[in-house]
Amino acid sequence: MTFDFVEPVVFAVLSIGVIAGGVAVVMLNRITAAALLMAFTFLSMAGMFVLLGAETIAAFQVLIYVGAITVLILYGVMFTKFSTSPRALFFQKQTPLAAVFVAAVAVPIVIVATLSFTGAPPRPGGGDLPALATSVFTDFAFPFEIASVLLLAAMVGAIVLTKRDDQEEAAARRRR
Amino acid sequence: MPVGPFGIDPLIWAPLRLVIAVGLALFLVLNGALLQIYLERKIQAIIQDRLGPYHVGPFGLLQTFADALKLISKEDVRAAATDGWFFVAAPALVFCPMLASWAVLPFAKDIVGTNLNIGLLYLTTLGSMTVLGIVIAGWASNNKYALVGGLRSAGQLISYEIPQILALVSVALVVGSLSMIDITRSQTGPFVNVLILPFSFLIYFIAALAETNRTPFDLPEAESELVAGWLTEYSGMRWGTMLALSEYGNVTVVCAIVTTLWFGGWQGPGVDAIPLLGVLWFTLKVYAFIVVMMWIRATLPRLRIDQLMSFCWKGLIPMALVNIVAVATLALAFPNTLVPIAIANWLLVVVFVAGIPFFQRRRLATLRARARASATPAVRAAS
Repeated sequence: MTFDFVEPVVFAVLSIGVIAGGVAVVMLNRITAAALLMAFTFLSMAGMFVLLGAETIAAFQVLIYVGAITVLILYGVMFTKFSTSPRALFFQKQTPLAAVFVAAVAVPIVIVATLSFTGAPPRPGGGDLPALATSVFTDFAFPFEIASVLLLAAMVGAIVLTKRDDQEEAAARRRR
Repeated sequence: MPVGPFGIDPLIWAPLRLVIAVGLALFLVLNGALLQIYLERKIQAIIQDRLGPYHVGPFGLLQTFADALKLISKEDVRAAATDGWFFVAAPALVFCPMLASWAVLPFAKDIVGTNLNIGLLYLTTLGSMTVLGIVIAGWASNNKYALVGGLRSAGQLISYEIPQILALVSVALVVGSLSMIDITRSQTGPFVNVLILPFSFLIYFIAALAETNRTPFDLPEAESELVAGWLTEYSGMRWGTMLALSEYGNVTVVCAIVTTLWFGGWQGPGVDAIPLLGVLWFTLKVYAFIVVMMWIRATLPRLRIDQLMSFCWKGLIPMALVNIVAVATLALAFPNTLVPIAIANWLLVVVFVAGIPFFQRRRLATLRARARASATPAVRAAS
């Protein structure tokens, strides 16, 4: 007997985590709970990456999505008004339509996935860092730079949008 | 039947190893916190010309044990308006990443949880997860002070992560690896990395002070403005887990990173003969930095929130970027020697240290000019 049974068990736990977390994010009407469960979904995704031998991607997944994006969402939630009484779900009226769309997307994916991927899964066996770094800085250098320029433009745009011409505030800043 | 280490069946050894590793990490975290709280009190007392704890046990050594027992036996208080599950989950969310990061700390040659080839990235990742717990704690407390503390910490920790990671990248550029073991091995003899990259050490240490909520960057729990910040509603062992265990655990992890990356990790005299001596060297180096952090806490006053943010975005991040550009360019230009990188880095340190009085004088001059401009004519006539 060996520890071969551990990997399917871990995979099962992680996939249940991803799916249950995702469903709960959509279904819950408490926005903070949804944000925290989103972090949980991201963590389970990171676990999936580790299982596939892509530790670097897993680390970036946690660093960016759990450590930064979820925190910024919570940050935004805290600055907006919230009511103590739970409100009705925003998507409630579209439930039948949404179910049809989900089925239309999910069923083909499941069919294609079960039929076409019959070979053994790839086994990088850890150490995906050199491969990742090489491809980002050689084959995909141009898309990578385009993405960075896009993010820079978005950041500059956000600063321009939030900048106000407030006389009082400018005076207060000058006094400091 | 295959036989694993110590003659134990590998089937039993694999889970046993996990239990031993987690148990050992917990043991070290708990006792480290007790020791560091004692050290913190004693060092602050010495600096402030007081005695510090001295009643319980010899030199007051058992004072923190008594405090810990008190915390454990305290009533579990939870205010009625707090946000149920979040309030309970927050201490765990702060504590677990800290505990997990002990897995890659290299205590000695073969005494390391796991030799992860992305060890450094793993540590920064777990460091960034602490923020989530703090923000949740601030939110779930349903208290204005706690919320402001949580918001401040979210802003502060996300901002200071950037110079921290940029400083780590410069070390990775020089060493060519992210594994904690390889980084330690690359520093042979007395040529530790701090001689080559003193400027990135400086940046990392300042950012790490902010990342672990230590003075002068402890704004999320500034007691003079926010009662106790995000910890306001917590008491008993919940407070103990968050503040005592997690904060001191994080301080230890950060100091271990500093030791490994810049000061040669476990290496020291006599390690080749007796490998276990590495644990001693590693611990001594780590505690030297912890003592420096406590010294800073007793010396420097707290910053204001806008000063804190502008120092990060206008000071530390540009400095870290200049550092990274210099190191990367020189590493490409001179692939066989580290001397140019060392010279450039020491020059940057000199510019930084010499620049501080210059900037202070200029700021003082502008402040005086503003005060003079806004003074009433009577005051202006009198001065």
